[in-house]
Amino acid sequence: MSQSNKLLVDARGLSCPGPITELVKAYRNAKNGDIIEVWATDPGFEPDIKAWISRTGNQLVELRKEQDRIVAVIRVTAKK
Amino acid sequence: MVKKVVILGGGTGGALLANKLPRDEFEVTIVDKQEYHHFLPALLYIAFRGYRKPIKRGIKTLLKPWVNFIPSGARAVNLYDRYVELENGKRLNYDYLVIATGATMDYSKVPGLDKVVEQFGNYHSTEENAWKVWNSLNSMGSGTLVIGLTYERYRCPPSPLEGVFLAEEYFRMRGIRDKVRIVYITFYPKPYPAEGINEIVEPLLKERGIEYLTLFMVDHVDPEKRVIYFMEGEEIKYDVFIPIPPHAGADIKYTPEDVLDSDRFVKADKFTNRVQGFDDAFVIGDASALPVAKTGVTAHLQADVVAKLLMGETAANTGRTHCPFDVGYGLGTFVISDFRNPALRFPVGKLPHLFKVAFMASYWDMILYPELWDPIFNAYFSATEPSKLRVFYG
Repeated sequence: MSQSNKLLVDARGLSCPGPITELVKAYRNAKNGDIIEVWATDPGFEPDIKAWISRTGNQLVELRKEQDRIVAVIRVTAKK
Repeated sequence: MVKKVVILGGGTGGALLANKLPRDEFEVTIVDKQEYHHFLPALLYIAFRGYRKPIKRGIKTLLKPWVNFIPSGARAVNLYDRYVELENGKRLNYDYLVIATGATMDYSKVPGLDKVVEQFGNYHSTEENAWKVWNSLNSMGSGTLVIGLTYERYRCPPSPLEGVFLAEEYFRMRGIRDKVRIVYITFYPKPYPAEGINEIVEPLLKERGIEYLTLFMVDHVDPEKRVIYFMEGEEIKYDVFIPIPPHAGADIKYTPEDVLDSDRFVKADKFTNRVQGFDDAFVIGDASALPVAKTGVTAHLQADVVAKLLMGETAANTGRTHCPFDVGYGLGTFVISDFRNPALRFPVGKLPHLFKVAFMASYWDMILYPELWDPIFNAYFSATEPSKLRVFYG
């Protein structure tokens, strides 16, 4: 039985489209069941991640704003 | 005392830097496995216009007479012991190392892509592949042309859409535009990833009837069935597919290994280009893992900064881009930004296209005589700083 992984993508300090690029790089190597946690500081990341989730059908477990970053926790569910 | 500088790569960044360093202070050696320096932006025009002028020059002819040139690949770099190992095993010691090895193509990252490129070519690698694109377009009388991003790392951010716009112009000129469906694919949320430029180009795509699929990540391609498969299971059939291929860093063994990222690009400080953890090694241009665009202007400006740092001056990158973006029909825009200013909304007009043509004509001269061209470029870059242009195009 394959094991789920948790991947951290630290995209702090990257301006748009850096965070989404880093997310896609991690997603390419992920499998269904994996959790990807993205840290970003660019305000454009929030609408981008919502659009990405809506288009791909993966699961947005949590999207929160902390003092110094936006954190998105994604469960990979849509890969074929 | 004269300092030994070894520069890996004789492309835009490497050659410019070598020619900028004063001969009385530095002994400069360029190492490159290729004998020729290619003007890579011209691949776009070979692919979509059948451009026939020469696009390469011997590296040696582009260097000042006092710059040494070794036509060899490098197989290893030891940053601790300050040496470069050549293909024949010979070691070159240095006081300063500059990595300017550019980017290479790694088709293996997307299964099936190697055969697609063999069949239809691409305009990011070689002249031969760019001519394949031209031949592929010429052989199309109808059907679906797909152009687009296949991976997250690629050079020249405007070039994917430039190809789409030039293809549209080409089919219209041939009178078969209504018979060819043009589809652009990208993993970004919008056709162009930077909002300012997207606001310029997205309406153009709509106006010219070009379809685009955003947030589509290529998983693999079946070259026999001519189908592109995306990660969530969708697919698109094509008659001709011109991929923007995955780019990767040069195949050189580095010590320590952790200066490379997962795509073999070299990690560095974004202001000084110093290789992560080393004061005497730099990386410029496409070879770096920096979150800046892989473009000629980036390499050019980074070469300026590193030259100044080597000469003991204070200098820092601003993250400046200034790329002409061809949208066909003799028109274009500019991608102008820096670390502090996102891309401007530079309106479409004739100027960017003319700038691009003029730059192509002066490129070789600019590489060989930076002492003549630098004052012109400095004045131009100063007059067009993003913070100044924001007033008009913010």
